[in-house]
Amino acid sequence: MPHEVIMPALGMAQDSGLLVSWLKQPGDAVKIGDALMEVETDKATMEVEAQADGFLAKVQAAAGEQVPVGQVVAIITDSAEEAEAASPTESGPAPQDGPAASATSPTENDDLPSGAEIIMPALGMAQDTGLIVAWRKEPGEPVAADAILFEVETDKSVVEVAAGHDGFLAAVLAEAQQAVPVGAVIAIISETAPEAPVKRTSAAAPAASQQAKPATADASADPVARKKAPSPEPEARMATPSTGRILASPKARRLAAERGLDLARLAQTGVAPPYHVADLTVLENLGPRAPGVAEGTAVSGPVSSHISARVSAQGCTDFLDWAKSEAGSEVAADRLFASFAAAALRQARSEARQPIIVTVRRAGQNPVRFSDADCRRLSQSAADEGEEPPALVVRDMTGSKITAMSGMTGSVPTLTLGRDGSDFVLSLDYSAGALDEDQAVELVSSFAERLGEPLRHLL
Amino acid sequence: MREITLSQAVNEALAEEMRRDATVFIIGEDVAEAGTPFKVLSGLVEEFGTSRVVDTPIAEPGFMGIAVGAAMTGTRPVVDLMFGDFLFLVMDQLCNQAAKTHYMSGGKLTVPLVLRTNLGATRRSAAQHSQSLHALVAHIPGLKVALPSSAYEAKGLMKTAIRDNNPVVIFEDKLMYQEKAPVPEEEYLIPFGKANIKREGTDITLIGTSSMVQVAEKAAEILASENISAEVIDPRTIVPLDEATLIASVKKTSRAIVIDEGHQSYGVTSEIASRLNEKAFYHLDAPVVRMGAMDVPVPFSPALEDLTVPTPESVAAMARKLVGGELIHAA
Repeated sequence: MPHEVIMPALGMAQDSGLLVSWLKQPGDAVKIGDALMEVETDKATMEVEAQADGFLAKVQAAAGEQVPVGQVVAIITDSAEEAEAASPTESGPAPQDGPAASATSPTENDDLPSGAEIIMPALGMAQDTGLIVAWRKEPGEPVAADAILFEVETDKSVVEVAAGHDGFLAAVLAEAQQAVPVGAVIAIISETAPEAPVKRTSAAAPAASQQAKPATADASADPVARKKAPSPEPEARMATPSTGRILASPKARRLAAERGLDLARLAQTGVAPPYHVADLTVLENLGPRAPGVAEGTAVSGPVSSHISARVSAQGCTDFLDWAKSEAGSEVAADRLFASFAAAALRQARSEARQPIIVTVRRAGQNPVRFSDADCRRLSQSAADEGEEPPALVVRDMTGSKITAMSGMTGSVPTLTLGRDGSDFVLSLDYSAGALDEDQAVELVSSFAERLGEPLRHLL
Repeated sequence: MREITLSQAVNEALAEEMRRDATVFIIGEDVAEAGTPFKVLSGLVEEFGTSRVVDTPIAEPGFMGIAVGAAMTGTRPVVDLMFGDFLFLVMDQLCNQAAKTHYMSGGKLTVPLVLRTNLGATRRSAAQHSQSLHALVAHIPGLKVALPSSAYEAKGLMKTAIRDNNPVVIFEDKLMYQEKAPVPEEEYLIPFGKANIKREGTDITLIGTSSMVQVAEKAAEILASENISAEVIDPRTIVPLDEATLIASVKKTSRAIVIDEGHQSYGVTSEIASRLNEKAFYHLDAPVVRMGAMDVPVPFSPALEDLTVPTPESVAAMARKLVGGELIHAA
């Protein structure tokens, strides 16, 4: 197996090394540890030793050449014959000339002239981009390798960059005053005078920079933005704590959750945030439900009211059984409740065509939103993905042992549906801002009627 | 029980261990006849001779390197670094060599070395002789860091440090050398990684290191007169850190202040506060507050210098705010 000799990385931030001289000639026998070549880095000139016994062959880089780290500069073959056989390639295609010139093909743009690609050089240790201060050559102009092609500004200084290749400036792919990512191709130098020199403003190389920047911005900003979006401004939080984020200590939150206390009620009673464990005592003393505790707007907000009703569950059970066995379509209870609630609310408000959103909440499940559930067939989906607060919350406790429960969900009228033996127990909590007394009575009675005789109301 | 100064306690610890183990020796500047500028080592050279109490030239990297090598080859050196500020001079020997040798040698070598040095401001020693740099070494895996808070602690921790097979850095507070505390005549050791609950309380935990333990205790006294019950804990060693005791206390009190004389930013207080936030978050009823030294070079001016470090009054004032449920650093 021939052993490849590569340009070693001798420094921490070294991209290439200058091959000062070869200490062995092609065909020479070498032993492990023999000095093969001298390499000059930023700091020092070092001898590079052979890592294999054999014969030096296929020398691909000449003394005086700058060779990228990792590039194969020669091979060491097992036998002299192999070395000889390999040697013709030595006179083959011109060896690669350095990083800048190495890529004559990978340009994505087919319409660019061919030639050596000039890239934005890395002039600093941690440099991502370089600002092109000015071009010293115009497109089409002949350039010598040592002629200054452009000026780059980095964090520290402005540096003049030489063309590095003799030829013609066939393409300029980034404008002066543009920041270009290190490594991006910013110009092409052709061997022959170009017919139509290319000059691009901010298309080719800048595309790379634009690609890079928004990508990182998206990645970092997006989740944050998504999280932040639904919550109101901090100022708004403090002013109307009932609708925004509640400032409370982690322990106070944990204990409130464990004891089933709603920290929002503290804000409604006028206790100033942030809330700590001591404030929970205040909350507990408010009782499970405080009639007279202001709802919605904290200070002079409307008082919440409460209406209860009881209706036999038989009608509903019969209907659902019938739907399943006779009509062949199983109706989900929450869909039915949403439908009745929307219809009852529509009737109570005398709003025939207003869209009505109803949210059905069940313990241990995600709330489900229904839009105009009463205007669609029961077999039709009425699921809603919107964000605006619902007109009514139906709290479905029929699957649990709980028969009654009070309290609104935020400031939205809340209709709680419990099961007590063979009856449904209904209770509506609402504030005067959302419904007046007549509407509330109408809502509960018409909901109860529908629940009692579902078929009649559906027909 | 008899009371002796912290200086005497350290001196006793060293003398006892040197009598017990012939491989223990002291090396540093002015350790022999001079007995150090703080007179901690007075009398030791008379008993143990200059081969075991070795005076060196003023060349910290040199004698630190000698000690690391000596420790690797079978002795137990106690290096005397005259000021904690000089740690910067021995960083390579300590952090790159002593701390990593056991690891790098695949466990074949140990470095049973003690670096004795000091910390603490308000001694009017100005910016280059007043720093508390224990956070620097606590950051480096492979080093243990002990912070005695009294004469009793200093003796027990020093004896444990000398017997430990790892490099240990002990910081004594310069201001405490002449402070007396009850120290038993009979031998005792204080294990590393076992915090000391100095005072029990229910409303807030005050975690103090080194001389800040006393600051915390005085603050607790002030708070007690206001019916605030403060628990005071001395971690004794910050590496290893007795996290369990600290977390248990904070779970009980729901509040904590961490007090340390190092600069507040990126310091010991930050590390401890962060662990409490991570591991006792749902038990916290107030933010965990750091109280370190001001992030400034320690001033020489006495009036200014005294402002840079936490005091019993400033700690009590912060505790009052936390217990009172005041908004800390407006949310």
